[in-house]
Amino acid sequence: MAELKLTDIKKSYGATTIIHGIDLAIEDGEFVVFVGPSGCGKSTLLRIIAGLETVSGGDIRIDGQSVTNVPASDRGLAMVFQSYALYPHMSVYKNMAFALENMGLGRAEIDQRVRRAAQMLRLTDYLDRKPKALSGGQRQRVAIGRAIVRDPKIFLFDEPLSNLDAELRVATRKELAALHGEIGGTMIYVTHDQVEAMTLADRIVVLHAGRIEQIGTPLEVYNHPANLFVAGFIGSPRMNLLPARVTGPAQVTIGDGSQTVAVPSTGQASSGDAITLGARPEHIDVVDESQADLVIAIDLVEQLGGETYLYGSAPGLPQITVRKDGQAGYDRGQRIGLRLKRDALHLFDAGGNAIRVR
Amino acid sequence: MTLTSKTSPATSPAPAASLAPSRGANPVLKLVTRILDWPMAGLQRLIGERRMPYVFLLPNLVFFGLFVFVPIAINFVYSVTGGPALFPSERPYVGADQYSYLFDCGSYVDPNTCREDHFWRGVYNTLFFSFFQVVAMVGLSLLTAVVLNMKIRGRGFFRAVYFFPVLLSPVVVALIWKWILQRDGLLNAAIMGLGGERTLFLTEPGWAMFWAIFVSVWAHMGFYTLILLAGLQAIPSDIYEAAEMDATPRWRVFWRLTLPLLWPNLIVVIVLSLIRAVQTFDEVFVLTGGGPGTSTLMVVQYIYETAFSNQVQNFGLAAAASVVLGIVLFALTLAQLAFTQRKSS
Repeated sequence: MAELKLTDIKKSYGATTIIHGIDLAIEDGEFVVFVGPSGCGKSTLLRIIAGLETVSGGDIRIDGQSVTNVPASDRGLAMVFQSYALYPHMSVYKNMAFALENMGLGRAEIDQRVRRAAQMLRLTDYLDRKPKALSGGQRQRVAIGRAIVRDPKIFLFDEPLSNLDAELRVATRKELAALHGEIGGTMIYVTHDQVEAMTLADRIVVLHAGRIEQIGTPLEVYNHPANLFVAGFIGSPRMNLLPARVTGPAQVTIGDGSQTVAVPSTGQASSGDAITLGARPEHIDVVDESQADLVIAIDLVEQLGGETYLYGSAPGLPQITVRKDGQAGYDRGQRIGLRLKRDALHLFDAGGNAIRVR
Repeated sequence: MTLTSKTSPATSPAPAASLAPSRGANPVLKLVTRILDWPMAGLQRLIGERRMPYVFLLPNLVFFGLFVFVPIAINFVYSVTGGPALFPSERPYVGADQYSYLFDCGSYVDPNTCREDHFWRGVYNTLFFSFFQVVAMVGLSLLTAVVLNMKIRGRGFFRAVYFFPVLLSPVVVALIWKWILQRDGLLNAAIMGLGGERTLFLTEPGWAMFWAIFVSVWAHMGFYTLILLAGLQAIPSDIYEAAEMDATPRWRVFWRLTLPLLWPNLIVVIVLSLIRAVQTFDEVFVLTGGGPGTSTLMVVQYIYETAFSNQVQNFGLAAAASVVLGIVLFALTLAQLAFTQRKSS
């Protein structure tokens, strides 16, 4: 186990800058998830930490020691690849033992470590099999086993579940969470799947265009998104982001200006400022039109069994998503009144940064 | 008119294909397909859909048979007949006499004790040549492929340079090297220019065989390098990254990862280069003429000379030697098939 400190990490390919000066400290034993859309630089950042990519600037420290110019093989880290990257001609046992042989460990020690990891990952019955004779989930467990046996300073996971089907992904996600509880190592996990990020992370690092947008616990990031990008990216379905204008110290109008919403505070924003009002789908109630903040016409109803999503439109506003518990009976084209829950509203200034309202 | 299927509509997965060209097609194509449509549809009705593929294979099979299978059969007929006559019908049947003559040796390890010592010298020269040529070919091709697979400057240029000799005719290759290696060639001029002594590269037995192997490797290495390079590029890069994360020393990466993963390509290269080496004729014939003496005489050259260029043209003996060589090549091909099929299964 180890702590990691990144200082002003930059990465450029020619004139194109991929990572723009990232600062990040990861505590010993922490499970940190890098999340962001495709091309945000999260995998590049992980590969930089691994030593598989060089940096264009900045410093990487593991347990206080600079490893910026240390090759990947000497950093003492283990990585689980998206494609598993198992050695196809070797058995499961050999795959897991390979790194230990490189370390010059004795046969008994190697055997003990491999069998312990195999037991932990329920791979004992498959030790003699080649990777091609395993299912996707089993291959992923071998890849994790290959990392575990080395007892690395930090575990790095590069979208390890993205090649698995939905059901297996959920099961393996739970196993990973349990594994972190069991072995307690420092883990850095890259994903574009926010559910993985929310369920696995001690802290989430939201990346966008090579910059950190927000660092925080899953609920901090969910409840207090630092800016419009995080608000729109974290949460599924995404947060409703409605253009609004400040009309008073605690009052805004939305859409074409005909609908006024009282908010707890507008922070530093002055009357007349254009802002964005954010409301998550579960923070909108369907009410009588007379009590409504706005009225929408339903475009689409999605019945998921345990919950219902209503998608509707109102003049001058983007499509609005509303989540209702259970199987709500609404029809396409129906007009409904919506009321935003005041204590769960988010406001963002013209620059896209969050305005503290509570 | 369209081709109709004999199978019932219920069992037929798709409507029968039509030879009719689509609208707007070339008028000549339209005419040809219209002409072909009727007889093909009739033929299909006559012999059934399942036999139709053989009809399409037939033209190629006829050409293949005419220029490969028939000559093999004629060659075999020649090998069991004797005399100087050219036409098989005029040649008396001699049974296995030609083979007995070829294999009539006091000791097979000493060609001097054989009645047809040139054949056995050819055999031993071919074995010697093949062994060292294949070892050098595989080793150098592998080394070159590994280097060309690295991120080196001018990689595309070097890949082209190594492949370039493959495009040359074997006779051209041999002539180029003959000009370099002959008594008054470029190499001797350079050596003498540096104060060294003239060396008879093509007329001293040891040197002649060395250069025969060297020229053959130089001419064909690019082809095998290409096969191995394709194999190297097919190895996923993340396997090497995983090995790097596993702190694997470079030599161990090569022995434990690259070589085993490249093994199917290596087998192909070994067997193909071996088959080609056993068949070697043109380059060595032009370069050394099989000399000095018989020191670079190969089996195929022996066959050629026995049949066509000796004063007494012995077609039967040459044909028997060809059959023996054919059996050896067939065995090598089977070995390659066995290796590749085992790998793929």
